[in-house]
Amino acid sequence: MKQYKIAILAAGVISMMASCKKDFSNPNRVVVDAALSTPAGMTNVAIGLQRSYSTTRVGTIYNAVCANGFSTYELSNRNTGNVDETNLAIGGSAVDGSNNILGNLWATNLKVIFDATRVISAAEGLGDKNFASGLIAYTTIFKAMAQGSLAEFWEKVPDTAGVGLTINFVDRMQGYKNAIGNIDKALGLISANAPSTFIVNSLPAGINFTNSLQALKARYALFSGNYSVALAAANAVDLTSRSEMRFDAQNPNPIFSVSTSTNNVFQVLDSTFGLPIDLRPDFATDRRIGFYMIINTGAAPRWRISGFGAALTTPWPVYVPGEVTLTKAECLARAATPDLAGATAELNKVLIKTAASDPFGIGAGQTAYAGANTAAAILTEIYRQRCIELYMHGFKMEDQRRFGRSNAPNVEKKRNLFPYPFRERDNNVNTPADPTF
Amino acid sequence: MYKNFTKTCKNAAGLLLVMVFLSAYTFAQVNFRGKVTDSKGMAVSGASVTLKNNSVGAATENDGSYSFLAPVKPGEYTLVFSGVGLKTFEKKVTVSGSSVQMDASLDEDVLGLTDVVVTGTSAGTTKKQLGSYVASVKGDVLSKAGTGNVLAALQGKTPGAQIIQNSGDPGGGMSVRLRGISTINSSSEPLYIIDGVIVSNSSRRVTNAMGNYDGIESVAPNRLVDINPADIERVEVLNGAAAAAIYGSRANAGVVQIFTKRGSSGKPVVSFTTSVNLNQLRKSVGQSSAATKFGGPTDGPTAQTQDILSPALTNTTGVTRYNYWNYIFRDGIGTDNNVSVRGGKDKTKYFASASYLFNQGIIKNTDFGRYSLRLNVDQELAKWASFNVGLNYIRSKANEKPDGNSFFSPMNSVTILGNFHNIWERDANGNIKAVGERGRVNPVSVIEDTKQTSETNRTISSFGLKLKPFKDFTIDYTMGIDAISQLGNTYIPPAAYNVSAGFFGGGNPNDPATYNAALNGYSSVGNNKQFLINHEINGTLNKNIGRNLVSTTQIGYSVQYERSDYSLLQGQGMPFGGVKVVSAAATQLAPIDDRSEISISGGYLQQNFKFKNRLFLTVAGRLDESSVFGVNDRRQFYTKASGAYVISDEDFWKPLSGWWDYFKIRAAYGESGNLTGIGAYDRFNTYNINSFLGRLAYNSPGQLANENVKPEKQKELEIGTDMAFFNGRLNLTVNWYDKKVEDLLISRFTAPSQGYSSLLDNVGTVSNKGFEIMLGGQVIKSKDFTWNVDVIFNKNKNRVENIGQSLIRYNTIGGAPVALLPGYSVGVFYGFFFARDAAGNYINNTAGIPQQEKGIQTSANSYTIQRDANGLPTGANLRKVIGDPNPDWTGTLVNTLSYKKLGLRFQLDAVQGVDVFNADFRTRQGVGNGTEFAQREHNGQLPRGYIQGIYGIEEWRIDDGSFVKLREIALNYSFGKLGKSFSDLSLSLSGRNLISWDNYKGFDPETNAGGGSTLARGIDFGNVPIPRTFTFTINAKF
Repeated sequence: MKQYKIAILAAGVISMMASCKKDFSNPNRVVVDAALSTPAGMTNVAIGLQRSYSTTRVGTIYNAVCANGFSTYELSNRNTGNVDETNLAIGGSAVDGSNNILGNLWATNLKVIFDATRVISAAEGLGDKNFASGLIAYTTIFKAMAQGSLAEFWEKVPDTAGVGLTINFVDRMQGYKNAIGNIDKALGLISANAPSTFIVNSLPAGINFTNSLQALKARYALFSGNYSVALAAANAVDLTSRSEMRFDAQNPNPIFSVSTSTNNVFQVLDSTFGLPIDLRPDFATDRRIGFYMIINTGAAPRWRISGFGAALTTPWPVYVPGEVTLTKAECLARAATPDLAGATAELNKVLIKTAASDPFGIGAGQTAYAGANTAAAILTEIYRQRCIELYMHGFKMEDQRRFGRSNAPNVEKKRNLFPYPFRERDNNVNTPADPTF
Repeated sequence: MYKNFTKTCKNAAGLLLVMVFLSAYTFAQVNFRGKVTDSKGMAVSGASVTLKNNSVGAATENDGSYSFLAPVKPGEYTLVFSGVGLKTFEKKVTVSGSSVQMDASLDEDVLGLTDVVVTGTSAGTTKKQLGSYVASVKGDVLSKAGTGNVLAALQGKTPGAQIIQNSGDPGGGMSVRLRGISTINSSSEPLYIIDGVIVSNSSRRVTNAMGNYDGIESVAPNRLVDINPADIERVEVLNGAAAAAIYGSRANAGVVQIFTKRGSSGKPVVSFTTSVNLNQLRKSVGQSSAATKFGGPTDGPTAQTQDILSPALTNTTGVTRYNYWNYIFRDGIGTDNNVSVRGGKDKTKYFASASYLFNQGIIKNTDFGRYSLRLNVDQELAKWASFNVGLNYIRSKANEKPDGNSFFSPMNSVTILGNFHNIWERDANGNIKAVGERGRVNPVSVIEDTKQTSETNRTISSFGLKLKPFKDFTIDYTMGIDAISQLGNTYIPPAAYNVSAGFFGGGNPNDPATYNAALNGYSSVGNNKQFLINHEINGTLNKNIGRNLVSTTQIGYSVQYERSDYSLLQGQGMPFGGVKVVSAAATQLAPIDDRSEISISGGYLQQNFKFKNRLFLTVAGRLDESSVFGVNDRRQFYTKASGAYVISDEDFWKPLSGWWDYFKIRAAYGESGNLTGIGAYDRFNTYNINSFLGRLAYNSPGQLANENVKPEKQKELEIGTDMAFFNGRLNLTVNWYDKKVEDLLISRFTAPSQGYSSLLDNVGTVSNKGFEIMLGGQVIKSKDFTWNVDVIFNKNKNRVENIGQSLIRYNTIGGAPVALLPGYSVGVFYGFFFARDAAGNYINNTAGIPQQEKGIQTSANSYTIQRDANGLPTGANLRKVIGDPNPDWTGTLVNTLSYKKLGLRFQLDAVQGVDVFNADFRTRQGVGNGTEFAQREHNGQLPRGYIQGIYGIEEWRIDDGSFVKLREIALNYSFGKLGKSFSDLSLSLSGRNLISWDNYKGFDPETNAGGGSTLARGIDFGNVPIPRTFTFTINAKF
């Protein structure tokens, strides 16, 4: 009997032992190949680009505003304990390849380029061309902004991004040209096959494809010195419409959530906008002071962030009309044969603009240009207007270089170009030498 | 492959099944009986009496008597008497009739050679036979430690282990490192097994679970806090692969086995223990007493909190200074009550216990409570079959405050505040007021208003079956289930003053009179459910091969499965008036729903030879597979070999045996793996899914995974010796080990232009080399007075051999610059340092402010310094390794004295040659409440701008973390048998962590804001200091 009892017991035990199943699928996340194999998945990856670019302390917007702002005297540092912000505020050699703000800016832009490239190549294979054109146009906006952002801050930029690829560096001017090439491709697609309502409604509201692409093309053509292309693109932008990246409570405006709401990271410098005396906005009359900053009479600091970092869900513009207008003015003034009257006319549009007539409410409310009618004087005024109109937009380092501002450290600049993040340098032998300043 | 392996599983089980069908023999029953006493003539209960080379035997009753029936033929037999802490004694008997009477007197076993050690196999083995070192700590030593936490009680009691109390919170976490750090990507916490049940030591947060709360560090409590130390019979610690290879795939960080008390035959013994304890802050860091601050308003919402760091402010204003530490700390009271019954009759033995622990934290309004019920039953079914059941229900409940990694915790809200605000002052509406212009949290809000509770309901159950189908062969089976359900609520009420949205206030920094109702306040409810099940089946065959050789063959198979389901609901913007539910939040934050399943299975075969009971040889192999790795990489084979030679048992040793009683040498080699080294799905490349503007956003993470990653593999060689002298009055154990973990999983950095910033791959190697010395001596041994001294010394050198690159830096919440560099220990601090002259003194600028070193960085840890015309540093900021959180050595000294019924025990723990990154020290100076620098700068004793000038130099935060602590001191008096009601009554007064000898600038160098993190250790950031505790205990037995 004993043997049978033992057998029964042992058999019972063995039957209790679970099976050897070892293949579990991930219920929490979507596998890359699966995501990129359906139109809905591609759309979600594209939406992820906007989220990466625009939100959090890791995104491009926060880091571009911060890196550019500290380097050009736009911002004041609120807490020496924030090491990376503090080193940017010190500038010069304190800014090195270990700086996490530069690291985030570099990595996020390359991540956007990388995933945008995957979406565009997947979308090109879709049968529904009206869906594909909209998806590619939207994706290209972020890809171009990421390419442009790299070219604004680094002397040489990676020519692409991808797993297992040999990454070579090209001159930053070529970086802008690459962005323009992508924009042209997208513009061609949407003019051939208008984006379907379905794809437009599937993507976050707020971004106008054609206007955004043209405005970005104008921006990067200007930055790369191609004035006729820039002027043509600028003329194609509808200056009455808004194109903006929106936020919600779960994904708040990063400038607000990191800086404005804490008063512990950075603040605006003050009503001088960090400009030399002769370039400062007119304290009494320039209405843009009140747009970009507000006064706190009680506590220090007196001048606080407002503008596009004013509140939790304040949208961030893809471009503001004033930028497009100033681009036109600059292109006319810098043309092979300068059109000074045309340039002054465009400049005046910005000077006399009122908040009511601007889709974002930016209005200088100044009088028309009365300075010397020379290209040099007009360009200086254009630079001044860009510094005020586009305060904390992240373009001032590029403007300083284009307008030949002094390269002496700690006069108008704390850095001219940024060093390459160590993470790139240590793992990519093609990384160029760092600029000295 | 997978199919083949499944087949292997079935074959292994099938083999056991076949074995059980083999028949057994039957003989006439003979009754063996007698009485067992110790050297003083006292009855020994629970001693084991068995017939040698036979499985039959019994345990002695309370009066020392034993009796059992054995089916034997007439002839010569040997009775083996053994007991815990007693030397094994063998006695020849002759069976002629139907009964045998034999008494025995057993000597104390000072060396613990007969202690049974259960290393992964069911049958266990004696310490004498082991080729590797296994530490064994008895439960009564743990229960005298004056703490309700098992791991805290283990501190200093087991060689090779660095046990750190991460936080002084009453339910706070502990981290255990056995022989250093053996991984990088995952937890370095050992595997915990309680009575054969693989238990969870999860530190998943159900409170403080808001996004970005933790970085690579998390100071969350770990769930071993649920275990009641009073239930523990003994703890075995297996430090590395040499000892733990039989656990194969999960043993990389070592194994801690806990055995709970079991029943014993005889009259039930009721034990009752009650204790009351007092917890106090041991040492305070104080707060500045400077009479002035720099700059403007002295209090209220517009006061400049961080005046020190704004060197432009040079005017001073008189202020009243407060000490907020006195406000947040208190004396905590605790009680611990345990009642247990141990008994048994005939074939049933049981142990049952109930306990309730309640302990107040030294931070106001924090406490921890734990109910625990246990029942262990052993039932003999037949001569050849028995089963046992263990049931343990636990409910732990804590009233918490946010812990270290935030600025709305009690510690950090004080650390980051200039101490010139009257934080208790109320406005006309009775509301607490803002503290300065930066929207920081008033500590009064944290203490009075923030409510955070967590509770755990947990059942750890086991079922075991032991069969003896035929002579010398046993099969045993264990099924273990650990089911955990955790619930946590966090509630930060809306603030009526300006609190930064970053701290879950709704403050409008531009207009302190208004706030954003959509952001003001926070609530969350977190749920974590874990289910772990393991089945182990083992077969053991003992065979005598000739007269001197015994063979033991063991075969086993194990299946483990774990499932965890975690969810978090959270919202921001809570209504005023105390409504706490998340559904009342104006802004619903992204919820979390995270699920995972893993399964591991494996089998082993172990062969052991015992020659003349003095030479022992063991070889074993284990094959495991885990679901977390890809199909082609999940199978791993581990080998082990060990040998031990008891030289002193040889005849030629006889001349020495007068003073040198025992000499054993041993060597062991073992391999183990890390089959849970990555998360359940980490090998898949995926997109994270987020809700964004009413749509779904897929975001690719920063890390790319090599889909073909394989488990890390540890290879450890251990060589050791055990010696005893002067009749066991002096004994010495030395272990030397060299362990290497290869195929280390590292999230190595990649160029971001590759689309990802890191790659999870098998790229590294880390090694730990060291030795452990244990020396025990009976200094005085007389009839009334004994004095024992025990010393443990551990030295471990941890070294990163290879990480596939020259440097990996990690960001931490507390700002500690943690890094990996080949040639250095894991987790060194790497950062900016002071410029020094040839004599090592600071180089100061003309204002008298020390300077940061600059020059040209030539590689990760080498550089050329540069000086400008004024002799000041110039060039790029330089970095180097500035500190190491791994101690040079650790040690323990225990003195145990007894005089008649009075006993005194004290334990000193030393941790030496260790650095702590003291983040809080710097913050205290920066915000102006520190006594060390801020007070002097305010008082004009340091140049204005001194603190700001050196604020960025990370070396300034490196502090000396070495300490010697009076860990335990206990005085007890045992009345022994007292009247008719008490069989024993003892009283004890004990203290824990009473004194620390250190040069540390914070509360306590023994702190660890990194919690269980492998990388982030030795960081002092907002952690509650470990209290000193006084305990009075009454222990009665009926």
